[in-house]
Amino acid sequence: MTGFLALELRRSLRDVRYLIIAVAMPIGLYLLFTGLFGAHGQRAQGLPQPVELMIAMIAYGAMWAVFSATGPRIAHERTIGWTRQLRVTPLSPAAALSGKLLTALAAALPAMALVALTAVVSHHVHLSATQWLALFAAMWAGVVPLALLGLAIGYLAGDEIAFPLTMALYFALGALGGLWIPLSVMPHVMQGLAQSLPSNGVAELGWRIAGGQAPVPKAVLVLTVWLLGSAAAALLAYRRRGTRSAH
Amino acid sequence: MPAAPPEPETAQQASQDRPAVRAVGLAKSYGSTVALVGLDLHVAAGQTVALLGPNGAGKSTTIGVLLGLLSPDAGQVQVYGRPPSQAVAGGLVGAMLQDAGLMPGVRVGELLAMVRGLYPLPLPLDDLVGIAGLGSLLGRRVDRLSGGQTQQVRFAAAIAGDPLLLVLDEPTAAMDVQARRNFWTQIHAFAGRGRTVLFATHYLHEADDAADRVVVIAGGRKVADGTPAAIKANFGDRQVRFTLRHGSPALLAALDGVRAVDQDGARVTLHSGDPDATVSSLVRSELRWSGLEVGGPDLETSFLRLLAGQS
Repeated sequence: MTGFLALELRRSLRDVRYLIIAVAMPIGLYLLFTGLFGAHGQRAQGLPQPVELMIAMIAYGAMWAVFSATGPRIAHERTIGWTRQLRVTPLSPAAALSGKLLTALAAALPAMALVALTAVVSHHVHLSATQWLALFAAMWAGVVPLALLGLAIGYLAGDEIAFPLTMALYFALGALGGLWIPLSVMPHVMQGLAQSLPSNGVAELGWRIAGGQAPVPKAVLVLTVWLLGSAAAALLAYRRRGTRSAH
Repeated sequence: MPAAPPEPETAQQASQDRPAVRAVGLAKSYGSTVALVGLDLHVAAGQTVALLGPNGAGKSTTIGVLLGLLSPDAGQVQVYGRPPSQAVAGGLVGAMLQDAGLMPGVRVGELLAMVRGLYPLPLPLDDLVGIAGLGSLLGRRVDRLSGGQTQQVRFAAAIAGDPLLLVLDEPTAAMDVQARRNFWTQIHAFAGRGRTVLFATHYLHEADDAADRVVVIAGGRKVADGTPAAIKANFGDRQVRFTLRHGSPALLAALDGVRAVDQDGARVTLHSGDPDATVSSLVRSELRWSGLEVGGPDLETSFLRLLAGQS
């Protein structure tokens, strides 16, 4: 099991799509947005621009990290028959499934840390050690529902559509969840939608912690609902496709 | 290599005394398609057994059931005295399946190291590289292998855990002649370690060359079981074809070695257990003929005849 996890993680970190979209893009967008909007403005959360954008981009990168390690990859492995080959080894299907989840979560950490490092280096973002720790712990836990959603897609979608579908979901959750545009400039209806999305929930946790406040119950509730929903979806999808042979 | 822990060794030895496969009355349908109808299959430990049959005979379904990938509608199956899924979980079984692939995005060496790590007593890496003839492939990316190399690595992944039972579903389907020859040499090297090998094929000559015993299945049931020589005598009919120009068709069945006669207008197909004798007696007979051809064994025809004879 540890060998399986280690190899899964190694290939995740080597994956070009992961490196470009989960690591390079959030860093690039961070530098672009802080450049465009100016590094000194205050935004809706009352946080300095570089801090607020850092948290948005941490959420953004973490989201693709867990998506890329689940949806498209699992769909591809099912299509080429690797899932089937694994089933005739001593690795249990449950271990394979939890291995995927753990790998996805582990792949999120470097993507998150590199955005933070960029913010610290380029804009001297300063948080207390406790804040950093709480921020990473909360946001990391917050992407669990997204990783489960990725698992569900991986077991349900075909190889052809898993990547575009995950990609579309990633952009939609990013744009509609207020990671690109602050909620305050969105129309009222859109704000309501944004606050019900897990992408916004993850960022909201971070923004609150960076602002020295406790996370709002609403964000926690939204994420909990998404957690339960996507866990159920992942389990059903896995039962339907993951344990059955190709026949 | 670190010394092998003693505990799994004794477990494996205990398993070694049991039959490798004991399946009784297996039945399986997919909707209205019947795949298996009361199939019995016993394989003693250490045997190399061919599961021979035409496409759609139920070979892959049988293998799916033996590996715990499919659950039978009826019947019982044990692999080394355990339910299939437990035998697989215990590392007693390795398999090379038709539609199975390899983990993408890693090197061959990394992949095999990971697979070895899943088994309690894997094959030492040097032995694995030697038997599977991997040589220079270890550093190559799995996704950049040729078709033949991919098959080699799939075989290596199947034996990496040094399983007591190796199951192969039409393993040579995508191989050229040379690759096939190498492959069977490798299987022999693996079986020579006292391992049990069960492989599905629809080539009689492959079963004949590689197996100690051949189990013929057709229409989801076992129709013959014996040594390759015995099976070949029953199923190795060759076709002697010609156009009958003159003479009574009634004489055809009396020619030497002829088991069955098919006629399509003037075109005659004789199914013969001894085509040399059949052609000799044809030459000596009063029949006039042209366009003589002798064809290789035709399993499909033999199976159809055998099934028709049974029902």
